[in-house]
Amino acid sequence: MSVSETLANEPAQKKGLSDQSRARLINIAIPLGTAITLLLIWQLGVRVFEVPTYIAPAPTDVLQVFRSDFGLLMQNFWPTFFESLAGFFIGNMTAVLIAVAFVHSRLVERAFFPIAVFINTIPILAIAPILVLIFGPGMTAKVVIAALICFFPTLVNMVRGLQSVSPQALELARILSASKSEIFWKIRLPSSLPFLFSALKIAATTCVIGAIVGEWIGANVGLGALIIEATFNFRSPLLYATVFLSSGLSVLLFASVTIAEKLIVRW
Amino acid sequence: MDAGHLENDGGRIIAASLNAASVKFGALTALSDITLDIEAGDFWTILGPSGCGKSTMLRLVSDLVPPASGNVEILGKTTEAARLAREFAFVFQDATLLPWRSALKNVELPLEIGRKRGIKIPTGDRTPLELLELVGLKGRENALPHELSGGMRQRVAIARALVCQPKLLLMDEPFGALDEMTRDHLNLQLLDIWQATGTTILFVTHSIPEAIFLGQKVLMLKANPGRVKDVIEIDLPLPRDIALRETPPFNQYCSQLRKLLEEC
Repeated sequence: MSVSETLANEPAQKKGLSDQSRARLINIAIPLGTAITLLLIWQLGVRVFEVPTYIAPAPTDVLQVFRSDFGLLMQNFWPTFFESLAGFFIGNMTAVLIAVAFVHSRLVERAFFPIAVFINTIPILAIAPILVLIFGPGMTAKVVIAALICFFPTLVNMVRGLQSVSPQALELARILSASKSEIFWKIRLPSSLPFLFSALKIAATTCVIGAIVGEWIGANVGLGALIIEATFNFRSPLLYATVFLSSGLSVLLFASVTIAEKLIVRW
Repeated sequence: MDAGHLENDGGRIIAASLNAASVKFGALTALSDITLDIEAGDFWTILGPSGCGKSTMLRLVSDLVPPASGNVEILGKTTEAARLAREFAFVFQDATLLPWRSALKNVELPLEIGRKRGIKIPTGDRTPLELLELVGLKGRENALPHELSGGMRQRVAIARALVCQPKLLLMDEPFGALDEMTRDHLNLQLLDIWQATGTTILFVTHSIPEAIFLGQKVLMLKANPGRVKDVIEIDLPLPRDIALRETPPFNQYCSQLRKLLEEC
């Protein structure tokens, strides 16, 4: 009986699976197709209207640079990668720790939140030269700028996340005579994780912007420095390749955070 | 502590005793002069118009709100001492499960709280897994709350409440948000659990049939300020089944309570 049932169910399941994979294929095919079409239009437009390469290079020119100047691109990719990553960790870690302090003490929040808001209102382009002057032309200034740009969204989200515990959950904790640290580790911190990951997704892309802006102000290496150099030398294909690489770095970090979120926030 | 409060004249243990207890929220008197002895092992349901302080009474007993005057004792202890000794447990209207914990992990939560601080946590005769079985969730112990229905979540909450084997179980409209079928089913299951564990239950509801079906005694409160209107003994045989609700005695209690409720 059970065997025949399994047999009868099998084709239906297989069909269901193929439907699912077809849907997934379509989901990938539509945006991919659109992107390829846009690239083709770009390529044709540049060729048909004979746009000079230094104004707008064709996609094939950019691809050519990826092949011929791969070493140069990578040489500048890694510093930016490490600056972004270090900035991401330092900025978010600081934001989380300060958020914890804010939630534990209204006084600390009242004292420091306005300052945090003030720092956030200064355009990153305006504060970057100051930080480069303070920390010098090395990596440190870039890490600090990347950290700074991550800091505020994570602080705000994390404070909200830590406060998102339902009053009933807190009453449950009270009935169980939970200590403040037990409430924090067992209830508040896990509750805040979805909020934290929303902030980390923002930070994953902005930290790259921070590192590149830092490199614009003063650096010999890094994607930001390469952007400036390629622009002033009218090496448009290299400029475009660098821009694509920067965006690729953001996508990489964003995807890593998304995967981490899927693994950790399963509820 | 006055050990005399532990037993009443009939020699039965008093699970909870309220002596002229009042609760005030600012200028508002939520509960006024409540005097009541709840004998261990009894099932009390609390009924009354909205705003009469039904929930407040449970919160008073569970040390969530302090009395403005009078006092409350649980098994001869202050409510605070009883809370620290896990003499009572609370089931909220909302299951209040931690969404990132599996059903089993949620049931185990009370055993984890205080363990690192070296507090002695009473454990019952039943393991968390056995409790999930008792509430009919065998095989679903690894499910996350969002994978369970509302009724199942509430049953996890009941299992969690039972894990320290409380002498007193406080339930604040636990089935109020559930559909009728699920509610009937859980009512029956709760009676089974009550008889299997021998715990004392204080159960707030706004449903007259539910109050009669579950309770041995119905405490009727009246509003403005919240006071005891009456205590009605429900003289219906145990164990009870759903068919009891169609019987004349059951309906008589229904109309009696409805009349009382209208007077409130």
